[in-house]
Amino acid sequence: MRRVGITGFGVVSPIGIGKSAFWDSLSRGVSGIGLITRFDATTFEVHLAGEVKKEVALPEPVAAVSTDDPKVGFAYAACAEALSQAGLVRLDSRTLLHIGTSLEIFDLKKVIYDGKADFKAVARDSLKGDAPPLQMPLDIASKMIMEQFGRPEQVLTNCSACAAGAQAIGHGFHAVRSGRFELAVCGGFDSMINPLGVGGFQLLGALTTDNDRGLYACRPFDSTRRGTVLGEGAAIVVLEPLEKAEAEGKELLAEVVGYGSTLDAYSLSAPDPDGDGAARTMALALEDAGLSPSAVHHINSHGTGTQLNDEVEARAIRRVFSGTWENIPVAATKSMTGHLIAAAGPVELGACLLPFLKGVLPPNVSLDRVGQGCELNHVRDPGTPFDGEYILTNSFGFGGQNASLVVRKYHG
Amino acid sequence: MREQAGVLANLYSEISLMQPSGRVVVTGIGMVTPLGATASESARAWREGRCAIRQPLPELTGTPLEDEGVAILPDIDIADRLGGRKMLKYMSDAAVLGCLAAREALQDADAKARFLPERTGIYAGTGLAAANLSEVRTMVEESIDENGQFSCRLLGARGLAATNPLLSFKILANMPPCLISIMEGIKGPNLIFTPWEGQTASALLEAWRAVSVGAVDCALAGAADNAANPATFVYLRQSGLLDEDEYPASGASYIVLERLETAERDRRRVYVQVEDMQLIPSDERVTDPLSERMGRTFAAAPAILLGLKSMNGSSRLSMCGVDGQKFRVELKALG
Repeated sequence: MRRVGITGFGVVSPIGIGKSAFWDSLSRGVSGIGLITRFDATTFEVHLAGEVKKEVALPEPVAAVSTDDPKVGFAYAACAEALSQAGLVRLDSRTLLHIGTSLEIFDLKKVIYDGKADFKAVARDSLKGDAPPLQMPLDIASKMIMEQFGRPEQVLTNCSACAAGAQAIGHGFHAVRSGRFELAVCGGFDSMINPLGVGGFQLLGALTTDNDRGLYACRPFDSTRRGTVLGEGAAIVVLEPLEKAEAEGKELLAEVVGYGSTLDAYSLSAPDPDGDGAARTMALALEDAGLSPSAVHHINSHGTGTQLNDEVEARAIRRVFSGTWENIPVAATKSMTGHLIAAAGPVELGACLLPFLKGVLPPNVSLDRVGQGCELNHVRDPGTPFDGEYILTNSFGFGGQNASLVVRKYHG
Repeated sequence: MREQAGVLANLYSEISLMQPSGRVVVTGIGMVTPLGATASESARAWREGRCAIRQPLPELTGTPLEDEGVAILPDIDIADRLGGRKMLKYMSDAAVLGCLAAREALQDADAKARFLPERTGIYAGTGLAAANLSEVRTMVEESIDENGQFSCRLLGARGLAATNPLLSFKILANMPPCLISIMEGIKGPNLIFTPWEGQTASALLEAWRAVSVGAVDCALAGAADNAANPATFVYLRQSGLLDEDEYPASGASYIVLERLETAERDRRRVYVQVEDMQLIPSDERVTDPLSERMGRTFAAAPAILLGLKSMNGSSRLSMCGVDGQKFRVELKALG
C-alpha cells in the first residue's frame, strides 16, 4: 500500500486568501461572516454570508469568466497556490484533476428582454453570435485550470453538493494510493452568494435569518442555532506518494490515511435522524485507515448550524466514538467561514492541517450554550493546544451524500 | 452497524490496492430514450433501425430554432412506474428519467432482493442544469422594476414568494442520483460527475472498478440528461456543442454491474461481461454513435450506448464526448 501525502494546499476563504491568512484567522477565531455585499439582499430574509473579502489576483482569461461566476476564480487561485507549494508548474499524464462544485450560476438578468421575462426574445438574441453564454457549465473551472497548467490524464467534476470536495479528495487519495495516478490535484470550489443561490436556500429554510447576530450568526451545536450561513471559496490539495515526495525533498503537510463515503437514502433535505449514514461514513473512513475510534484525537465536524444536522451529527459521533468521544475535541469551523457547500470539505481539511502545523485547534466561535442533543467535547477557545496524531473531518450533503476523511500528522 | 462497516471498509480499502481483477457482468438494464420507454423497447427500435421522432419546441417558436426539432420521448405513465406522485414535486425532468431507468435496471437484476443496501453503490453522471422555464418565469416577472430591469430588491420582496420553494432541489446537479438512492434505498459508496459524456464514462469506469475489486457487491451506474430542455438547446447551439445537423434529446440509462460469481450463484441472466473499460484524453472530433438516430443525449449517451450494446450482444463500443475524453469498452457475450 502506498502512503499518500499532502504536498500542496491552496485556499480562498471568507477568513483569508492563502493558507497563511486562513490559518492565522482560524487560530485566532476570526469570523468572516457579515452582511451580503455581492448583491442587494436587503429585502431578503437572509442578510448574511461568508464572502471572500478581497479580490483574487487572476490571469486575464480566468478573470473574465470570474466576473460572471466568482467561484471559478476561487478555484483557479487555490489551485495555483497548491501547485506552487508542491513545486509543480504543469499537470501531465499520470495526474488526476478532480474538483467538486455544486450549482451552475444562474444570472436571472439573462432571461429578461425589453423589460419582460421573454425567453423567446432572449433565445433570439443569444443566437446572434456574440451574446454571452446562457449557461456556465460546472466544468468551466477545470477548463480554466487546464488552460493555464496543462492537461492531466483524467479530469473529473464532482457535483455531490456539500460532500463534493471531500469526495474528490477521498477519490484522489485512493487513486494515488493504488498507483492509478502519481499525482492527484483535488478539492472543491463554490459560491452560492448570488440572488438565486441565497434565495433558493432561504426558501428551503436552511439559512438563518438571525441577521442581528452578524459575525456569530452561524452557530453550530448551539442551543440558539437557527440555520446555516452560506460561505464561498475554494481549497485544493496536491496528493502524492509520500515516499516519492520525501525522496524529492518536498514539504509534507500531512498524510491522508482514510476515506469513506455513504448515502443516507432517507430524505433530500434532512439527515437520517438515527445518523446511520453519517456514522457508517466515519466508521468506513476509520476502517480504511486501519484505525480504531480511540486513535482519533480531533474531529472537524460538518457542523452547519442547522437544527437537525448538528443534532444528528453529534449523535453519530457519540455512536462511532462510544466511550472516547468526551475526550475528543470537536471543531466547527463553519462558525467562522459559513457553509462553503462543495468547497466545505476541502477548506475544512485545510483547517485540520492547522493543529498539525501550528499546534492549536480552531474554535467554535459562536458556541455559547450547547444545544440539547449536541453534547460533544466542543472546542470553544482560540489557542487550545493540540498534540495529537489523527484527525477526522466530516462532510454531509443535501441529498444524503456523506464523506469522511482521516489525516495523520506527518513526522518528517 | 460497526461490524458491517468493518467488512465494508476492509473491502473498500482494497480498491486502492488492486487493479480490476474480478469478472464484472451486466445483469440489469433500464432505459428511457426517444426510441422507447424501456430498455427492451429502446433496444428493439435500435436493432430495427428506427429513428427518433422530432418535434419543434413551442418555447422556441419565433426564434432561429423554431423549425429545428428535438427528439421527443414516448408517453410514459410516470406515477405508475414510480409507484405514486409523492416524490415528483422534488424532481426535475432529468431526475424523473433517471429514476425510471434506475428502477427498471434494479428490477431487471432483482438487485434489491439480492444485495445489501450498504453494499450497493451509485456511480452517476448528470447533465447541464435545466430549469423548467415556467417555474423561473414567474419569479423573474415579479422581480422586474419600473425601468424594466431585474431588481434584487423585488426578487427578495416579491419574486421569491412566487417561486416553488423546492426549486433548488430541481437544479442541484446531484439530485437525480440522490433521488434514486432515496427511492430505491441504496446506501453505499457513491460518485456523481457532471456535465458531459466523459464524466458519465468516468462514473461507469468507477463502477466497473469498484465491483471488480470488491469495493461493492453491486453498482448502479448510469446517467440522465435533459438536453432537450429549451434553454439547454439554445445554450448547446449557442456554444457550438451541437453541430448544425444535430439535434438534442433527453434520456437516461442505468445498468446494474455485479461480479460473475454472484450472478451465477443467483442464476441471473447475464447480458454481457465487461472485459475492459478505458477513458483516455483525446483530441479526436466528437463521435456519438447514437446521435444520428436518437439525437445527442450528452451525459446520458455513454450509459445509453453501453446499455444498448449490452442488450444487443456487441463486443465493443467507442465514443468521444465534447469534453475530449474517449471512452472505450470491450464486452464479451457469455454462453
